[in-house]
Amino acid sequence: MTVRPPLLEGRRVSKSFGGLAALTDVDLTVHTGDVVGIVGPNGSGKTTLFDCVTGMEEIDEGRVFFKGCDITHRRPSQVARMGLSRTFQGIRVYRKLTVMDNMLLSRQWGDRGWLSVLRPSHPRVTERANGLLDFVTLLPQRAELAGSLSWGQQRLLEIGMALMSDPDLLLLDEATSGVNPTLVDAISDRIVTLNQAHGKTIVLIEHNIDLVADLCDRVVVFDHGEKLAEGGVGAVFEDPVVIEAYFGGRGLDA
Amino acid sequence: MRTCTEATRGQWIAGARRVGLAVLLAGLVLLPLVAERGGREGMINNSTLFSLTQMLMLVTLASNWNFISGLTGYIDFGHVAFFGLGAYSTGILMSKAGWPFFPTLAVGAVSAAVAAVLIGRATMHLKGPYFSIAMLGSFAALREMARVTTPLTGGGPGLTLPPYLNRPLFYYLALGQAVLVVALYRWLKGTEFGLMMLGIREDEPGAEMRGVNTTFVKTAAFGLAAMSSGIVGGMWAYQNTFIDPDIVFLDSRTIEIAIASVLGGLGTIAGPVIGAGLLYWLRDVVWANFLEWHLIVEGLLLIAMVLLLPNGIMGLLGDRSGLDVRQAWARWFRR
Repeated sequence: MTVRPPLLEGRRVSKSFGGLAALTDVDLTVHTGDVVGIVGPNGSGKTTLFDCVTGMEEIDEGRVFFKGCDITHRRPSQVARMGLSRTFQGIRVYRKLTVMDNMLLSRQWGDRGWLSVLRPSHPRVTERANGLLDFVTLLPQRAELAGSLSWGQQRLLEIGMALMSDPDLLLLDEATSGVNPTLVDAISDRIVTLNQAHGKTIVLIEHNIDLVADLCDRVVVFDHGEKLAEGGVGAVFEDPVVIEAYFGGRGLDA
Repeated sequence: MRTCTEATRGQWIAGARRVGLAVLLAGLVLLPLVAERGGREGMINNSTLFSLTQMLMLVTLASNWNFISGLTGYIDFGHVAFFGLGAYSTGILMSKAGWPFFPTLAVGAVSAAVAAVLIGRATMHLKGPYFSIAMLGSFAALREMARVTTPLTGGGPGLTLPPYLNRPLFYYLALGQAVLVVALYRWLKGTEFGLMMLGIREDEPGAEMRGVNTTFVKTAAFGLAAMSSGIVGGMWAYQNTFIDPDIVFLDSRTIEIAIASVLGGLGTIAGPVIGAGLLYWLRDVVWANFLEWHLIVEGLLLIAMVLLLPNGIMGLLGDRSGLDVRQAWARWFRR
């Protein structure tokens, strides 16, 4: 039996902005099929880690591997085409384009060569977009401008867009923040389905601790750009160091 | 028994539009036949045909500019540089090397496209006004280059091309190119490539992170538009029979193509066509007697458009696919 490399591996990743160290020597390992939660106070480097992994930010030191390939210096579109999708904390949808166009524009690119883009979207792509819009409950809004959707619906649209390319790894950046409780349930439900029925590997940045406890096999806690703790949900949230940093010493039940 | 047709209102409008377009095109094709020629009087005179040719060239230039600035959102203040490369390719090859006209168009097209890819690779990672100013700089640099490379370009005094006063030929060339270019852009806008361009306009980093190779898309679009403007430059030079740095790299030409696009509707396909037509009509009919005022009036017109009709005439006609020029501008400065 061969040992398969982890799906995603960050080795001693460091990134600073000016004099501010956003990430210091962060190691991260994600295996196929995992659901990993990343928690930590605001400004602790969670989103920066996503940016560094996806190539949006050039990292200062360390290396990132995806499917065993070194992707440290690849451009974001190359990383995306390898099967890594993400959503964004601040929501990035194409506001002035229709929901449907947002989906079509997020398809798996580069699979049939450059000339293939010189025609309208293939019916298979449109069909996939319809299916995924149904999955994220936005099919009725397919002809509306993405900017006209509510905040929560835009979050769902982002998840739909991230799934268009049929990624192997999905990075969700605060997918439930600012979303009403009904939609939070819908989103959490979709995450479970994606992992269990579709075998997607998911890393999620999340402030909702209950949700993390429900969904994740493993939790990574960040503070000041460093990995503070990592492990199973129960163990991590009872770790005094974590309680001190994240909950201000009051603990979960305070 | 059939009691009513299946035709909906939308189909009628589309049908009417198609018929109108066909009539307009047929009229444009037949026009030179009724023009004066060789002393024979016609329904339109030679200067009208010349003016229409200039207008058709503006349609093409404005469409090219709009393809870049309206669809990808990169506001380009140096696009006339590529027109200039085409004009000088034709000018130099015809007057210095004795080439026939048509091969020089191909050289102009290729040199404009190559220059656009090189300049684009250097400038298109710049955001917002930095890109606009870098392009303005490229334009000014090419003008100065034309001024100082005297052995090649004739420098400040310019170059004289072999005169060829076949007005209908230039008219048909300009008409053919305008029709082809507009049809090409209309088709491209409906493809995935066009969608990628719109994605770049709406959120370039987002598009990149969703697998769109934004550098490739931008550069390809830039090269295509520049190639077309290079061809216009070559035709313009031969028709004008004389070129010098100032009349080729004319500041107001940049402004003119931008006004035509904004007037018609930035980011729409028909917009630059309508805008260029209207601009020429206004110039010939309304301002013919106020020549020294026309730049002022054009400036005022642009201000009025931005304030009152930010989506241009196409916006007024209900086309929502374009870009609000105020929003485009505001976003451009935030990038």
